[in-house]
Amino acid sequence: MATPVRVEAAGGEYMENVVVLEWSVEPGATVTAGDTLVTVETAKAATEIPAPVDGFLTAIFAEPGMEVPLSAVLGLIGTTAEDTAFEAKAEAKGATEGALAKPEPIVREQISSAGAASARRIVASPAARVRARSMGIDLRAVRASSPSGRIKLRDLASTQVLDGGPNMSRTPATALPADEAGRLNVIRSGAPGNIPVVMIHGFGADGPSWSPIERDLARQRPVLRLELPNHGKSPRRRMTSFSELAREIAIAFDDLQLPTVHLVGHSLGGACALALADIRPKRIASLALIAPAGLGPRIDGDFIEGFAGASSPVSLGPWLRHMVADPKIIGDDFVRAAMASRADPDQRAAQRQMARDLFPDSTQSFDLRAALERLTCPTRTIWGKADAILPWQQALSVPGEIALHLLATTGHVPHLEKPEVVAKILRDHFASTETRP
Amino acid sequence: MAMMRYAEALNAALREEMSRDPSVFMFGEDIGRYGGVFKVSRGLMEEFGESRVRDTPISEQALTAMAVSAAMTGTRPILEIMYADFIPLCMDALVNQASVFGYLWEGQVEMPFVLRTQGGGGVGTGAQHAKSLDSFLTHIPGIKVVAPVTPADAKGMLKSAIRDAQPVIFLEHKLLYNMRGEVPDGEDELVPLGKARLVRPGRDVSIFATSKMVIEAEAAAVQLAKDGIDAEVIDLRTLRPLDLASIKASIARTHHAVVVNEGWTFCGYAAELSATIMDHCFDDLDAPVARVAMPDMPIPYSEPLEAAVIPNAARIAEAARRVLA
Repeated sequence: MATPVRVEAAGGEYMENVVVLEWSVEPGATVTAGDTLVTVETAKAATEIPAPVDGFLTAIFAEPGMEVPLSAVLGLIGTTAEDTAFEAKAEAKGATEGALAKPEPIVREQISSAGAASARRIVASPAARVRARSMGIDLRAVRASSPSGRIKLRDLASTQVLDGGPNMSRTPATALPADEAGRLNVIRSGAPGNIPVVMIHGFGADGPSWSPIERDLARQRPVLRLELPNHGKSPRRRMTSFSELAREIAIAFDDLQLPTVHLVGHSLGGACALALADIRPKRIASLALIAPAGLGPRIDGDFIEGFAGASSPVSLGPWLRHMVADPKIIGDDFVRAAMASRADPDQRAAQRQMARDLFPDSTQSFDLRAALERLTCPTRTIWGKADAILPWQQALSVPGEIALHLLATTGHVPHLEKPEVVAKILRDHFASTETRP
Repeated sequence: MAMMRYAEALNAALREEMSRDPSVFMFGEDIGRYGGVFKVSRGLMEEFGESRVRDTPISEQALTAMAVSAAMTGTRPILEIMYADFIPLCMDALVNQASVFGYLWEGQVEMPFVLRTQGGGGVGTGAQHAKSLDSFLTHIPGIKVVAPVTPADAKGMLKSAIRDAQPVIFLEHKLLYNMRGEVPDGEDELVPLGKARLVRPGRDVSIFATSKMVIEAEAAAVQLAKDGIDAEVIDLRTLRPLDLASIKASIARTHHAVVVNEGWTFCGYAAELSATIMDHCFDDLDAPVARVAMPDMPIPYSEPLEAAVIPNAARIAEAARRVLA
């Protein structure tokens, strides 16, 4: 059970928020009670927050520059290097008031507007109020999307996304975790201006896995990285079929309310992108499929099961190296970082179930080749010739007018293995559609 | 299973229960020789005789008092009131007798009678023959009120109502009698009173409807599905006592509720449902409950005007979109 790091001791009684300045300790490092962990700016001065107990710094929720309420949990100190489970209830003053004791999320809000907003009565639906209370969301920071002006449940889902609030770790469960409500998470970056690009990652990955090419693309346009159910910070929900997954993606896409986007998907995310382009054809300016699923029955089932189930860097490393053509690019740091993003056992269990539902008996249970024939937007496929997960020969079923980039000495993750090449292909692809008459 | 019309399913229930229990008998206007204006009791007088299937003069007030007295003295009467519009004539026997005698005599009397009637509009029967006065009846404690929609429920619930120890008002709808559906075989295939029916599961909004409005709600759900809205439709079946557990469970899933009833809006059954949902599900609601009901006005005789005011699929779908906005 991990101990939360809080800021409360540092504030004066007239303060509600502090700004995080700097962490003195790296995630994963050993700490001793009393060590300075993090420095925050209060109304008076910079204040150092000491470690409350001995252990390992297993999570950082509040990045430097963020403004957080006094009661926020800044990070976690675990008893082991992977211990991120903590129960807010256990440390409540009145142990029965579990909901009130949960940490407040980190809310980025402008100090100047916060004062004015707090004076107004907040109009929110009863369900949204209850959910916000239990999640520790400050409704003043939530924008209502309904024409009624009332904050609804869906608005909370997107708030959680924007704020990157603390991931409330739960005690590890052996059974499949219960379905969670809420919308899929979207990580936003990039400059406004050109047509935005929406990126959908593959099975077992997450939004940040696009980082090798994200910065390049973000220079020219907004980048929205959508996270699949049971992945990243998206809710855990059983997806019993690909059509159910496609429906979730369509709901999340509609929520973005973007008139036109470039769509990029990798692996399972490629299949999702293809399905989305099929059902929302008018809103897709271009489509890029990187080693997409759904174009043939074959898939490496051992990999899917092994990768989804790996619970330590030792077991995860070999599977990560299996994904790429050159195993040397997957160093120990990479494996540790990948494992850290997969620390939640509930999430791993949910992903395993998802794999069993979507890829029973090492078979892709869905076939999107017909959707490919119906596409009207400019489309390119990118595939590594050394892909050990989805054989590149599946690209041969692609209709002739769709471009195919076959990358030599490249495995299943071209955007990781050949980021410059993939970024250039995508830039050219987007530009060619944007300059068309 | 047998394919039956709603009226045939009711007829089968009456026949089976009269055969099963000699204390069951029925009376009402034109139910015997004529077989009932909607042919629900067709052939029963021939089969069971004039003493058990009785034609009566036109006096709803007297008929209802007769049902109460006969039930108290050990028989199981089934009274047919030809149109629900005449329910006000029955009120004294229901409000001051049927619903209170059990209490006044400390449970020494049972009141096992069924009052069948039919209401609703849509076929140009005008201001005196098309009303849904559900809330007049559901307002009375001590009386059960049911309104089955499918032939299977019509048969199974009428049998349950006849066997019930309390007064049961059995609401039919003139546009349901010709609807067909599968009905389970077997004399003891009962459908319990007090349990709603999940017509169609959905994730986005719960539509609670009664009687013919269930059919409209199903059509609304089909329209909504085209826009990607996944509506759940629940047929309440029993209007009182309400199946609160099903209502709560549905709203806990969808967080949005539309309530539909063909009666008038103000102080109507939809209003009661809405208030009950507010009482029990407030913290699950993501939007105010929307009511779809008859405007507060007489039902026009002109069919186009009637169609303009009776709740329908389009108005239900519009209400669902409004709560989801």
